[in-house]
Amino acid sequence: MDPVRLLMVEVVEGVGVFLALLTFAIVINKALREVGEALDRHRRTLIEPAVFEYLGAASSRPQRDALPRSSSRRDRRLVEEILLEAARVVKGETRDRVTAAFEALGSVRETIRALHSRRWWKRAEAAERLGLMRSRTAVEPLVALMSDPEAEVRIRAARALGLIRGSTSIRPLVSALADPSRWSAIRVAEILINVGVEAVDELLVAYETLPLNARVSALDVLGRIRSLRAVGLMKQCLSDAHPDIRARAAHGLGLIGDPGTAPDLIRALRDTEWPPRAMAAKSLGRLRDPAAIGPLRESMRDRQWWVRYNSGEALRALGPEGLEALIDMLSSDDPYARHMAVAQLEEGRVIDQFVADLTSNDAGKRAAAIRFVDKVTAAARIDDTTRQAARSAQEGVRHALSNILKTPSPAPASSPGKGDGGRS
Amino acid sequence: MGEQARILIADGDAPVRRFVAALLVHGGYEVHEAADGESALQKAVSLEPRLLVLDIVLPGKDGFEVINSLKSNPATSRLPILVLSVKDREEDVVKALDLGAEDYVIKPFSPRELQARIRKILERSR
Repeated sequence: MDPVRLLMVEVVEGVGVFLALLTFAIVINKALREVGEALDRHRRTLIEPAVFEYLGAASSRPQRDALPRSSSRRDRRLVEEILLEAARVVKGETRDRVTAAFEALGSVRETIRALHSRRWWKRAEAAERLGLMRSRTAVEPLVALMSDPEAEVRIRAARALGLIRGSTSIRPLVSALADPSRWSAIRVAEILINVGVEAVDELLVAYETLPLNARVSALDVLGRIRSLRAVGLMKQCLSDAHPDIRARAAHGLGLIGDPGTAPDLIRALRDTEWPPRAMAAKSLGRLRDPAAIGPLRESMRDRQWWVRYNSGEALRALGPEGLEALIDMLSSDDPYARHMAVAQLEEGRVIDQFVADLTSNDAGKRAAAIRFVDKVTAAARIDDTTRQAARSAQEGVRHALSNILKTPSPAPASSPGKGDGGRS
Repeated sequence: MGEQARILIADGDAPVRRFVAALLVHGGYEVHEAADGESALQKAVSLEPRLLVLDIVLPGKDGFEVINSLKSNPATSRLPILVLSVKDREEDVVKALDLGAEDYVIKPFSPRELQARIRKILERSR
């Protein structure tokens, strides 16, 4: 036979044998996996009731006696799996029983060993499991893991420490607010916010020792936790040398909402830098102290847009008295304050109310509406009223506004239900 | 001991459903399970349970739709419903209660607290 042809036959045969073996290996692998899964399901149906009984039991029987006894690795893995599933949905006494079970089974010890794996994803997975196990014996190894070179591992360790809680686990989280990666620091801050009031004392104790960026984050966390215990530090920070700290403290005081801090925030409206002034104005809107109306009116004349905007918004949040102050600002000699007052009255739909009164049967209401629209016109911000003069569905409103604005009365913008399609 | 109260649990997460069922069986109730909204509705009619423990996140019809359907059906409108859900937003809780749920428990939950709430609902509906 031709040697080339012989070679080709051998190659085809070889490929055929290879494919047959590969198919056989895939089939065997699939069969083994399915058998394994079926065995898991079967064993699980036998093990699950005992684990559930242990978790639901009110008495505190020793864990080793209560949990299913088996030396098989499969059974131990299944018990661990059931406990991890339960760990995600229970709290209280049952949650403590889950932790006790993990400790009794030796799962905590084994998972801690996995934290030393050379593969970063195995370390990350082990950290996550330890967070669900919530054993305090894992705190120290997890704290060590916070120095891992891999950012994802550090974050999983931080999350686990946040779940375990307790001062020993929260302290390293507070230090991690100074993580060089901004992304990691933000995630650590979120973890501390989820920890809640338990994190407050550690944050307060560590605050002075933290670098600037971490102090800013710490104030943010304290504000979001909304603990009254942080008010003292926040008030103190309003006089900090750094404007970012002063701004964050002013913001935090608004989130906490202690009415006693209104005088401090009113003082902060006179800060030399605009970010603390803007944040103080925003927070005064949250506190809703009528004493802030006068200072907020004054801040409507601030040279910075954000301060004027937050002051106007705060006045709006202060209810009828605040709105009255905004209407009064329409006659201010400061054009920026007048413009901001109009913008805020537009946003608060106050202009709409007055415009609707232009066709009221009540002569007093009509006169007040005309005076108001005159003020808006004088404030040189007539965009919205001009738009309404052209497009209002009520003919009376269109005529009245057109008369005040000294513009020709337009024809109706569109018939009801047809919209403004095609108009610029 | 008197007749066991029949409770229907509708939860799409099988391990959680089995766990809650085991808790309630341990508490002396007769427990039935439903894995989706449609079967929860069918079993609520055919089994006539005294209480439905319902998750909001369900395959097919979600928990809100289930409450709505049960409350608008004269045969099941009086069935007390306790929502047990991971959805912890205020608007979800308010929506479920407004639709007619008796109580709302957020996961993670305390099994003891859940049992106490179930006991109270059953006492009230007696």
